[in-house]
Amino acid sequence: MAGHSKFVYVIVIRSTREKIWEALTQPEFTRQYWAGTYQKSEWTRGSPWQVFTPDGRLWDAGEIIESDYPSKLVLTWRKEPSGTPFLAEMHAEGFSRLTYTLQEVDLGVQLTLTHEMAVEGSKLIGAVSEGWPSVLSSLKTLLETGTALPNSEKWPEGL
Amino acid sequence: MSSKYVYVTYIRTSPQKLWDALTRPEFLKKYWFNMTQESDWTPGSSWKMLFEDGRVADAGEILESDPPRRLVIKWRNEFRPELTAEGYSRCVYDLTPDGDVMRLTITHTIDVDNAKLIEAVSGGWPRILSSLKTFLEGGTPLPRTHQS
Repeated sequence: MAGHSKFVYVIVIRSTREKIWEALTQPEFTRQYWAGTYQKSEWTRGSPWQVFTPDGRLWDAGEIIESDYPSKLVLTWRKEPSGTPFLAEMHAEGFSRLTYTLQEVDLGVQLTLTHEMAVEGSKLIGAVSEGWPSVLSSLKTLLETGTALPNSEKWPEGL
Repeated sequence: MSSKYVYVTYIRTSPQKLWDALTRPEFLKKYWFNMTQESDWTPGSSWKMLFEDGRVADAGEILESDPPRRLVIKWRNEFRPELTAEGYSRCVYDLTPDGDVMRLTITHTIDVDNAKLIEAVSGGWPRILSSLKTFLEGGTPLPRTHQS
């Protein structure tokens, strides 16, 4: 499988880099805006990284490639379950690469997310491209107003 | 032979408030870098984006208008000759209710490969829409997008 798939999203948040970093990594925040999910990692280079569904099933996994608090975090990411044909197809694509950069700009802090994979027409990148705008919109709302977007703490039924 | 930029954002607001924020000068100037826009917002009417000092930044016409759901603007840059030379782009706003929030999708396209216009707006849209979102959810836009 040659080629490349890439999704880039930029959002400016009225917050600090440290708070955004915390919100991207700590369960008490991610549970509020990221479909009720939580992540486990030491967040240091080489440490494992895992995403869990609200009921504790392993959903994505990989490892931390680069951790430069509070400005850059890079990790590998593979879809873990393979219980349905779609999930199995994403799992088979292997590891993608996710990069968060946090930069102070005139308007606040600019979060740039790049999610990419060395697969042409990647199903995983296609799926996350649909999800990232709502996850990051809700993150911004949570940090700026104290409450995430409605229903963004809910895991999709049946998944 | 075309270039395209797409941005999706979710905003805690109503369809009408989102439409008004995108079309009414008194709201636009609060979050769109002190710029304003002039139009009747009906199909065939002219459309202009103006700098604070009144110079025209971009101009074109309204191609489709279905408040508060969809707006299509024929859009040409008027202040950077290399962008003006690329001709007219097409910018589509789609406003879709999604549960209790609004999904706003901006799709900006032009029939030019590797268009400089699309490169330029790719840098601008995330900043403008981040400020719009803050404005609608909190009442005040991000700093430096409006006159304090």
